[in-house]
Amino acid sequence: MRSRDLGGFWAGLLVAGVVLWSLITTDVELSRLLSAGPRIADFLGRMFPPDPTIMDEIWKGSAETLRIAILGTLGAVFFSVPLGILASETMVSAAVHRPVRTVLAFIRAIPLILVAMLMVGAVGLGPLPGIIAVAFHATGMLAKFYAEAIDGVSRAPIAALESAGAGPLLRLRYAIWPQMAPVVARDTIFRFELNLRESLILGIVGAGGIGFYIQTYVRSFQYDKAASVTIAVVIMVIAIEGINVALRRRFA
Amino acid sequence: MMQDAIHIDDLSFGHHGAEQRAIDQISLNIAAGDCVALLGPSGAGKTTLLTLLDGRLRDWQGRVSVLGTPFEPTRALPLAKRADTGFIFQEFALVERSTVMRNVLNGRLGRMPSWRALLGNVSKSDMDIARSTLSDCGIADLADRRVDSLSGGQRQRVAIARCLAQEPKLIFADEPVSNLDPSRAADILTLLTSAAQARGATTVFSSHQPELARRFADRIIGMRNGRIVFDVATRDLTDDATAALYDDTDPASGARLKVVS
Repeated sequence: MRSRDLGGFWAGLLVAGVVLWSLITTDVELSRLLSAGPRIADFLGRMFPPDPTIMDEIWKGSAETLRIAILGTLGAVFFSVPLGILASETMVSAAVHRPVRTVLAFIRAIPLILVAMLMVGAVGLGPLPGIIAVAFHATGMLAKFYAEAIDGVSRAPIAALESAGAGPLLRLRYAIWPQMAPVVARDTIFRFELNLRESLILGIVGAGGIGFYIQTYVRSFQYDKAASVTIAVVIMVIAIEGINVALRRRFA
Repeated sequence: MMQDAIHIDDLSFGHHGAEQRAIDQISLNIAAGDCVALLGPSGAGKTTLLTLLDGRLRDWQGRVSVLGTPFEPTRALPLAKRADTGFIFQEFALVERSTVMRNVLNGRLGRMPSWRALLGNVSKSDMDIARSTLSDCGIADLADRRVDSLSGGQRQRVAIARCLAQEPKLIFADEPVSNLDPSRAADILTLLTSAAQARGATTVFSSHQPELARRFADRIIGMRNGRIVFDVATRDLTDDATAALYDDTDPASGARLKVVS
């Protein structure tokens, strides 16, 4: 047997082992799964028809979610610009960009919902903890994207400005920024879409937005109203994705 | 006696362990106001030498002084000293998504106070200089066009305009016409050398085409494998010397041919 075949064999064994371990140690009873059928049918039945009388709540919740996403993205951009510069190889030495990148990786690793819960504890209920949480969480990704945008530009014009006697900030402004601007626009819009999707659930932990209504209606067994909110969420996600696709084509 | 624009003494660059240094024990002087061609095949060390003289390389050995400023082997040239030497790049090195005017104004950055340049506040005199270099280069009508919409010849004119807007006393041009077809190449070199002459600037351009070097330079320095193979007035350049420069059958010729003429 060649070593490559052997590698495949071990990889297959590892996957099988992992799956078996999960199956055996998790409490999976087939009987529970089978009896769930009628109950799910019951839920779906109670969700239909969706209750159209809660349009006010839907508008209010959607607008708040949109505001959280917009202000959260704004906050993330605000922090990502300096952090992106400090995380780029082009602008700063390894002694600076390596630790900054490590910090950004840590920020990315903390789930948004966890940050939101901590912020609710710190500043109280409402959209403010949601905005702070989104801004914090998104900065981890956006600053990394900005740094990559800086490092991805063509080097020759930077050298040309250096040759003309322009310092680092002038090179950033006149050689790097014009080249990276479309990438920054694309990445920021992409992050805004993610922020909107993620902030839909923030209301579940009390951090504002339409998630609050989903939680309220499900907990109080008003499934027809929960269905209406769900439909609103789906429409919102599809709409923002459509806008994003159109904008990205514009920036391509 | 005219002062030397460039003074190089026993200059070497490249790793000690490496079989071939990019620049190997070069010594030469270039008088102010001269137009000099560096001639040689690719890999001869022409670009490295020009980049080093532009103050953008570190960790070389020897003594170099440009426009009366001695260079430090361990440090890049301070920004304040850079504006006096202009550099024209082989691949133009323009900001593609910016306008022609913006690219030419970029040549002024080293001449403006930094805070004003950062704010994008262009003085009338900077604007006038940019406009007049654009018309000197025959591209005044392209000022508002984005560079990515231009042809290769137009781009090189923009690059020359940017360099001239810098008002350099010394102009380095690295293979300025190697990306252009022959008739455009002659036009561009005519533009560059006459503009430099009109401004009293010293010019050093590199080329791998002997006929262009002969036509536009007063003095031709032949380089191969990081060394100077010949250094002659243009009228003294022999066909044999040129041929030896490009003789692929004898890779060691660069080391043995010392001076021909």
